[in-house]
Amino acid sequence: MIFLIQYDRQADRLISIESFSDSERSKAQDLLLSLELQLNQNGADKEVVLLEAESEDALRITHRRYFEDLSELLNPPSSIREPSLHSR
Amino acid sequence: MCSMPKMLPHDLTRNQIDRLGDRLRKGHIVDDDLRLLDSYRRSFSNSYEKVVGRIRNELGLNPTGRPQKTNTSIMEKLRRQSIRLSQMQDIAGCRIVVSDILTQDEVVERLKTLFFHVDIDDRREQPSHGYRAVHVIVEDSGKLVEVQVRTSLQHLWAEVSEKLSGVVDTSIKYGSGDEDILIILNTMSHKISEQELAEAVHLRIMASDDTDEDEEFLEGPKLPEIMLGRLSIARMLDAIVEVIPRLKGRDQ
Repeated sequence: MIFLIQYDRQADRLISIESFSDSERSKAQDLLLSLELQLNQNGADKEVVLLEAESEDALRITHRRYFEDLSELLNPPSSIREPSLHSR
Repeated sequence: MCSMPKMLPHDLTRNQIDRLGDRLRKGHIVDDDLRLLDSYRRSFSNSYEKVVGRIRNELGLNPTGRPQKTNTSIMEKLRRQSIRLSQMQDIAGCRIVVSDILTQDEVVERLKTLFFHVDIDDRREQPSHGYRAVHVIVEDSGKLVEVQVRTSLQHLWAEVSEKLSGVVDTSIKYGSGDEDILIILNTMSHKISEQELAEAVHLRIMASDDTDEDEEFLEGPKLPEIMLGRLSIARMLDAIVEVIPRLKGRDQ
């Protein structure tokens, strides 16, 4: 799946997330460029990014900062505090 | 109402790309340059798809892809470093997060075997302002695709550093800004490195059936020590929580 994310870095806030199927890559890329042009014309300091992942859940692991605010990020999941240390 | 994207040819010359980079570096961004940059980013699409597809299909891993670097990240990098746009290695890339450094080493080795042309940027030995990870740069049809391989602890550090850069001070990510935050981040980065090495020794011993290693086991890190190490990393996050109100108060 492809995800188009708009994020306000200073406000630490996810503005929007839109998903596309893998076959809609061009459409997502066109939309990304449209948003970038719009932000450039408005002088807005926002982040727009295109990401691809198996699911939104997978994205929430590899790109937590878009979904969690600072206080949530500083309170890591229990897997960080208690690692799995079984033999491999 | 913004204008619709206007497609430009993908076969930009190196000279055109670098002149575009020079204009972006200066900061006055016109729409045509954004379109040109977009066209350049899209020229990585085929290589990106091929590299990520092979990682998924042939290694059975599930990377999260970022097919094109954001234009703001590209511009910030151009301003921060004396790099040409055509030299930038991370226009397209993906990220793999694994549990520990043994798995990280294993994934890097598998990537080296899978792809013919690779460059390894191991930032565990030489961290970049505390950032630790292994970046595998894959070349495909003249295009570079960056594969970031991070452990969950390295990833946690990177996400916290990135978030603090956005919320508190953009320079934190590059080793400047509030002293207290920098000290905590640096200490945490070192602690993560030590912790991961200790856990790797522990995992190796646990995986070994060789009874001759019993002696090594006696000398190896014990589970309570490892758990305490994890706890001390978590406490460093708590220390950041304590510093934040002072920083936010200072900005008001």
